[in-house]
Amino acid sequence: MLKKYRVTVNGQSYDVAVEELGGAASPAPVAAPAAAPLAAPSAPAPMAAPAAPTASGGGVAGSVKAPMPGTVLAVKVSPGQAVKRGEVLLILEAMKMENEITSPADGTVSQVRVQAGTTVNTGDAMVDIA
Amino acid sequence: MEQKLKELAERKAAITAGGGPKRVAAQHDKGKMTARERIESFLDSGSFVEIDAFVEHRAVDLGMDKVEAPGEGVVIGYGTVNGRLVYLFAQDFTVIGGSLGEMHAAKICKAMDMAMKVGCPCIGINDSGGARIQEGVDALKGYGDIFYRNTLSSGVIPQISVIMGPCAGGAVYSPALTDFTVMVDKTANMFITGPQVIKAVTGEDVSAEGLGGALVHSEISGCASLMFNNEAETLEGIRKLLSYLPQNNIEDTPVAATADPVARDIPDLAGIIPDAPNKPYDIREVIKRVFDDGDFFEIQSLYAMNIVIGFARLGGRSVGIVANQPRIMAGVLDINASDKASRFIRFCDAFNIPLVTLTDTAGYLPGVGQEHGGVIRHGAKLLYAYSEATVPKLTVIVRKAYGGAYIAMCSRHLGADQVFAWPSAEIAVMGPDGAANIIFKKDIDEASDPAAKRKEKIDEYKHNFANPYKAALRGYVDDVIDPADTRKRLAGALAMLLGKRESRPAKKHSNMPV
Repeated sequence: MLKKYRVTVNGQSYDVAVEELGGAASPAPVAAPAAAPLAAPSAPAPMAAPAAPTASGGGVAGSVKAPMPGTVLAVKVSPGQAVKRGEVLLILEAMKMENEITSPADGTVSQVRVQAGTTVNTGDAMVDIA
Repeated sequence: MEQKLKELAERKAAITAGGGPKRVAAQHDKGKMTARERIESFLDSGSFVEIDAFVEHRAVDLGMDKVEAPGEGVVIGYGTVNGRLVYLFAQDFTVIGGSLGEMHAAKICKAMDMAMKVGCPCIGINDSGGARIQEGVDALKGYGDIFYRNTLSSGVIPQISVIMGPCAGGAVYSPALTDFTVMVDKTANMFITGPQVIKAVTGEDVSAEGLGGALVHSEISGCASLMFNNEAETLEGIRKLLSYLPQNNIEDTPVAATADPVARDIPDLAGIIPDAPNKPYDIREVIKRVFDDGDFFEIQSLYAMNIVIGFARLGGRSVGIVANQPRIMAGVLDINASDKASRFIRFCDAFNIPLVTLTDTAGYLPGVGQEHGGVIRHGAKLLYAYSEATVPKLTVIVRKAYGGAYIAMCSRHLGADQVFAWPSAEIAVMGPDGAANIIFKKDIDEASDPAAKRKEKIDEYKHNFANPYKAALRGYVDDVIDPADTRKRLAGALAMLLGKRESRPAKKHSNMPV
């Protein structure tokens, strides 16, 4: 679907047409299942503690995909909701475990593609973060 | 003589100035230190001794006869970290972009050769535009000489690569051959071919950061062992990493003083494991409570997070920890987890660092993607690495240990010296649901209420087999212990195993699946 925008840069205005190509062209594939680590800043450890990626730079927004085949047990977010990197988006029951699927980046939930009971395969998009 | 001393001082000053104030300022503007500043900040104060400062390139082609390169774009020498000797080299981006030519490489090779001779770690700080193209095949020779030495040094002295700027093309393979690759967030990049080449060949648009930044290599490719926010933290992190390592493969691991008593009870440890076997928890909470002072130096913390690896100390002595992470992907073993853990196990074994394994995994991950990706040969690495290792091997089965994953996580059968299980351990050929469905298929099918029968049989199997006692009955588990005693039992076993000697058949080298 074609959308038209007018963008003004330094006083100069440009007409831009943007075409949405549907599900297949979801932006930038999301890296790993990337549940943000608790980063474990053990007590006052001034040394090491592998740097938790900084919030803004950390992770890539886009579709959060199923890291393994399973069934969605509960969805914890709704469209429009702001989420932080590492925040739990949904619970995926897989390998007989309740797995917390977390946001790979700070952003806003733009679409929730699954609901409780949905069966997903590895790589299926579940939640879109913009 | 006075005149000659003056000349010496002048020559040294010219070399120490590197690429000059303008380029040094440009380096600082990028949030980067110069090669010399990095060395000063990394080593114990005043311990650095530079060698080969006077080396110059001898290239004449393509205008190189007119190019002056103070120090040849790399600073090499030795010094101490917490009083212990290290050799190091640091590429100087302010001198013709830190590009690597014949003599630049020769300096690096000298540092590596000396580190091997004296048996101390070799640290390489990479910040280079790549090969010095004007030097042609001599630059390629330089890279080859470095790779060859990286390989011969592997398993003899610890080798650490620090990426503090660009590291592209052939340059990336030296870090890949070393034991640890440490990257600085935002300023370090590694890739074989850069964004322009990729754009030209495949049409893909990608930034240097998106292609080979620290986060990408920490999270997606697994090429980085550690990443830090800035250069100072990075250098401090490497000092800490070195504190866990022996100087070479014939030295014992260092022992650090600790006030944490080895006989310390851990009453809250049992409470970390949820009662329901399908609930996740963070295995690092277990690690922090068991080892000295709650200290855990995690390696590759963002990659294949379903397995956790890193260094800690027990009774002051360094140990390498390998643990399933039930919080991520049910702690399954998959291609990346096997790859990550097996390389770490081999490092620890090469450098006499005892291994402690914590088991709680749902098993090997099923799926077409895994099978087609070669989980057979990748998963085999874990079996291989554990079987090959002759350092003391201690295993604690915390919860689930089923099937192939039970074997792979340093079971008695792969040569574990002591295997402890918590009472929560479930050690069996497969999970109760699957097992009951197969073994009692007929009973279930013929029952008037198959669902109730299935549940009854699952419970029956759970009670009879999903426990640590069947394995203990055979001596596969040495003891079933109260979680509160985990620290003292591990420390006791480690002390008992200090004199462990185990030999392997003589061979040229092994052939590990890769």
